[in-house]
Amino acid sequence: MSFKTAVITKLALRNLRRQARRSLLTAASMIAGGALLIFSLILGDGTHEQWIDSAVRMADGHLTIQSPRFQGSRALKDRMPGESRAFVEQALLQGGIVGEIRVMAPRLAVTGMASSAAGARPARILGVDPAVEVSFSVLDEKVRQGRYLRPGDRLAAYVGIGLLEALDLRLGSKFVLTAQDAGGEIAGQLVRVVGTFRTGIPEVDRSLLHIPLSTAGAWLGCGGDVTSMGLLLGNSELVPQVRRSLQQRLSETHGTEALRALSWRESLPELDAAVKIDDFSNYLFQGILFGIIALGIVNTVLMSVMYRRREFGVLQALGLTPGQSASLVLVEGLILTVLSGTIGIALGLSVTWFLWGEGLDLSSMMDNEWTFSGVVMEPVVVPRFRVARMVQGLSFIFLIGMLASLYPALRAMRIDVAETMKFER
Amino acid sequence: MGNPALRTEAVWKVFHQEAEEVRAVRGVTLTIQHGEFVVLAGPSGSGKTTLLNLIGGLTRPTDGRVWVDGLELTRMSSRELARIRLEKLGFIFQSYNLLPVLSALENAEFPLLLRGLERGRRERRVRELFQRTGLAGLEHRRPGKLSGGQQQRVAVIRAVVGEPALVLADEPTANLDSAASDILLTVMEELNRDLGTTFLFATHDSRLMERSRRLIHLVDGQIVSDQWQEPRREL
Repeated sequence: MSFKTAVITKLALRNLRRQARRSLLTAASMIAGGALLIFSLILGDGTHEQWIDSAVRMADGHLTIQSPRFQGSRALKDRMPGESRAFVEQALLQGGIVGEIRVMAPRLAVTGMASSAAGARPARILGVDPAVEVSFSVLDEKVRQGRYLRPGDRLAAYVGIGLLEALDLRLGSKFVLTAQDAGGEIAGQLVRVVGTFRTGIPEVDRSLLHIPLSTAGAWLGCGGDVTSMGLLLGNSELVPQVRRSLQQRLSETHGTEALRALSWRESLPELDAAVKIDDFSNYLFQGILFGIIALGIVNTVLMSVMYRRREFGVLQALGLTPGQSASLVLVEGLILTVLSGTIGIALGLSVTWFLWGEGLDLSSMMDNEWTFSGVVMEPVVVPRFRVARMVQGLSFIFLIGMLASLYPALRAMRIDVAETMKFER
Repeated sequence: MGNPALRTEAVWKVFHQEAEEVRAVRGVTLTIQHGEFVVLAGPSGSGKTTLLNLIGGLTRPTDGRVWVDGLELTRMSSRELARIRLEKLGFIFQSYNLLPVLSALENAEFPLLLRGLERGRRERRVRELFQRTGLAGLEHRRPGKLSGGQQQRVAVIRAVVGEPALVLADEPTANLDSAASDILLTVMEELNRDLGTTFLFATHDSRLMERSRRLIHLVDGQIVSDQWQEPRREL
């Protein structure tokens, strides 16, 4: 620190202490703002992570590997060869990202009809590996009757409650699945209900059913082929890095047209939009809040400058440059905001940690299951503590302090020294 | 022969107040040598303070030129003027104008602090001046805990501590009673005599005029007399 910076900092600290009551009042609003900022950021992050986790486990994971044409066609002709799983595993190993993967689930998805004596309904049929799927999907936790699929099951089906009721089925009932097979022929498969689930999302409960992957492969003439590989990561922040690395490896070994890694943002665009909108509204609210706080800071610092006009005149007469006078005001504003903002952030973190570290229970406000963008909302929101958010919060507060002090600093810089001395006449 | 402490050449300052043109300083030409003890006297509105502001680089002249210790201020940037004020000039104001958040010692050493002088040398110099001006023991008091006379003596130390070429003092005794004024004038005389500090005062105080060695009268922004005199000694 240069000696002039040291002098300016010393003067700034003393001036803040001199107007202790005014400084404390301004600091109090900044502390409250900082606490609220960090509380809403970490709670927002926790909510979003919960949405994403819930959605990706209900759908195709944080990352989905499939043929580039499959997303548009949803046809079996655009499936991946059975050995793709080995390719993907190899790519993950080569990219050094295998440690980031929690579960990798192969799936064979087809749209067809489910028929019983009561009628027929359109169905989304998902062939899954039961041993892997229990760690991947949340569907096994939504069981209403019976059980989820088990390794070794052959003709078993785990059916949404809406579909079960529409087909007038019950546990143990047999029904027929019909779909176009890999050869383009209509093929049927008899299955038996081993369990039913209820997600709370009507369109899922009315159409989705799981059957064993081996059964689906044999029925549809796909052998060991799959339509996609879902990857579940430790958290959603890892997605860009894992995706980049994985896509690079897959392109190197299979060419750009062979396999594509889609992020949840691409496979679940509605959820992506919902997260972005929620973030935007959060930032907007914070912007308004801090705009109001900033006005308070402008008022405090400007009052302080106006009150000390002659002092600024004396300082410049003694050899401080106009720029140094301005920097004195900036330093005062920054110390006030950054110090109080940091205290506010620490306070917000501590309160959130101690009171709601395990989760903020909103169940009293949610009478029924609440779904949003195809996601079932959990009644307990677990805050997410991230260093990046602390840095972001502090940078924001620093920026507010800087902006709020800018005008008073300009006023101090433009002081007419001779004019300020006239006050003593 | 070296540069004089101050030289002005046909300096004018014209202010525009609404439609009216006010000629506060009218073609003042003046030279003050190092070590002089000069009083600029004149009635209110005669342009004393404006002339001091022009010399101190606090106001720019409408016309004419100003040199302090051989350096021409007229064409300097605000930044350069700030450096000149720090290194070549000292200021004493009527209302003392000490910084209330600093102690007496910190106020006095402020110019040296801005110059980056190391702490030991700063304190030695300031404590010596506190001793010389009868302020020893009051170094750590805040301005609010000092009398007016004591505050003005601290302001004098602040003005002379950096050994400037010229100290500009605007009505330094106006807020002081007779006793405090006498002490202050004695202090400044001694600093002038012992350290060779050059003082230029703007005042109406007859005691200060009597104790100067050169008395310049300013009327309506013009020098009307510039006389050398034998200063009256205080008993």
